[in-house]
Amino acid sequence: MAIMNKQITIGSVSGNDEIRAGYVLMTLQLPRSFPEPQPGQFVMIRIAGLQDPFLSRPLSIFAFSRGRSHCLVKLLYRIAGKGTQILAGLIPGSQVEISGPLGKGYTVDPARENRVLIAGGIGVAPLSLLAQHLCQSHRRGANPVVVYLGAKTADEVVGLDQLRQYCSSIRICTDDGSSGAKSLVTRAFQKDMKKYDPARTAVYACGPKPMLQSLAGFLKYPYVCQVSLEERMACGVGACMGCAVAVRDENGDKAYKRVCADGPVFELKDVIWE
Amino acid sequence: MKSANKTDEALAVEIAGLKLKNPVMTASGTFGYGEEYAPYLDLNRLGGIVVKGLSLAPRLGNPPPRIMETAGGMLNAVGLQNVGVDIFIEEKLPFLRNYDVAVIANIYGESYSEYAQVAKKLSAAPGVHALEVNVSCPNVKKGGLSFGADPKAAAEVTRRVKEQTHLPIIVKLTPNVTDISAIACAVEKAGADAISLINTLSGLSIDLDRREPHLKNITGGLSGPAIKPVALRMVWQAAQRVSIPVIGVGGIMTARDALEFMVAGATAVQVGTANFINPLATVEIIEGMRQYIKNHKLKNIKEIVGTLKT
Repeated sequence: MAIMNKQITIGSVSGNDEIRAGYVLMTLQLPRSFPEPQPGQFVMIRIAGLQDPFLSRPLSIFAFSRGRSHCLVKLLYRIAGKGTQILAGLIPGSQVEISGPLGKGYTVDPARENRVLIAGGIGVAPLSLLAQHLCQSHRRGANPVVVYLGAKTADEVVGLDQLRQYCSSIRICTDDGSSGAKSLVTRAFQKDMKKYDPARTAVYACGPKPMLQSLAGFLKYPYVCQVSLEERMACGVGACMGCAVAVRDENGDKAYKRVCADGPVFELKDVIWE
Repeated sequence: MKSANKTDEALAVEIAGLKLKNPVMTASGTFGYGEEYAPYLDLNRLGGIVVKGLSLAPRLGNPPPRIMETAGGMLNAVGLQNVGVDIFIEEKLPFLRNYDVAVIANIYGESYSEYAQVAKKLSAAPGVHALEVNVSCPNVKKGGLSFGADPKAAAEVTRRVKEQTHLPIIVKLTPNVTDISAIACAVEKAGADAISLINTLSGLSIDLDRREPHLKNITGGLSGPAIKPVALRMVWQAAQRVSIPVIGVGGIMTARDALEFMVAGATAVQVGTANFINPLATVEIIEGMRQYIKNHKLKNIKEIVGTLKT
């Protein structure tokens, strides 16, 4: 019989600040017993009793810490519709329902000592927690974690303060050159690629679909790349089959996997771009 | 956990010889194969678990996007993605056998013969207590709705399944018809032991900026509280016309919703979309029913079935 080890947690909003126009950083205070999230995992968040919007919102965990009396979970999100608009309006002290941490996060192969993170826009959210983990497990003399951070404009470069705590090497790219290089983040990485020994490099990416698809076009084995995907979700626990993504299964056949339970992190080589 | 295994006589109901601890089941397609929600709640507490629809061969399902939130509900067009009946029996059913709960296998076919074959396989599998025959999926090209919208075809599916099984069979009806009572009567005559209704209502959601449907399948099935009044009306209509038990489904979020279905004529209910936003919805509904029994000093919850005053 399965162990009943998951529950709905009540979180208290202790901060919810629009750090850039349209981008909000929410800090939630949760019971100390909240499980340690893997980088790339997410939570389902909802306002109890609210029926419009009807569904919970899946949000990646941006930062996590456990204190003496409680845990702090930070969620960085973009206001994209009615649900996130309502979340953005929550004032400190408001309560939310949280299930999680959910899904399968990024895994780290110690043999691949070059770690490259590629973030597009709000895709920085799960990679920030990964940067935190990589930094905490960093060995002296190991190669630094490199981050390629892309956004449309300087005003949409988010998560930088957090990343700077963990990474010394951050390449910023914007579509209009208003911050960092005027380049697509994928192109900036592609130019640098020869610096990284393919067999000893692991790439971790999250961002809009075209960005990930472009990576898939040139990032081939022996490079390896894990990507975190996004899809509309209803349950978040693998039951509704709503958040399907086409991937190649163990036999190389096309299968629809669940972003919430089989992902959100997948091997880039397995994703079928439809 | 104490209340989990304690039989609460006042909540117990029976559907075609199948004894349920309480009238609350999970609706097919909203509770996976049980294991997805087992970390959140004790499955022993449920009246029954209706598993995700099973077909003869595994089904890939529809391309994404498959779901869209709507006012008071959601549209889905999953397209009956499932592992297929053989893998269900080998890999999923053993897990459910660990629990003392009625397991109802929802079945689907693209032809009469497929329905019959799936029914036969499941009837030989230990741990399946009833079959729910899906003649009402709006999201697949073949089968599904085309059987459920025609009284003759729905009756024929029922007959073919009945021939293959000793298990009670529940036929799940579609609301996408003009006269649901006609279908209900046809399947009762063909040997259905119970009916469950409603499946989702066919709907469309549009992205105005792109002038495109939100779902790749274009249309999808609407579920959630938005459909509850339609479901109540159909349960009430069907319950007046058949003498087999009726199972009410459609937008149940709370114990009050569930009890309304029973007043309309349902002997039991299924909770679906509510599971997605609250994994504990079913157990909260059961507790709410227990409270209702106490408050109204009922000997058994059955006393309220079909008591709508009109």
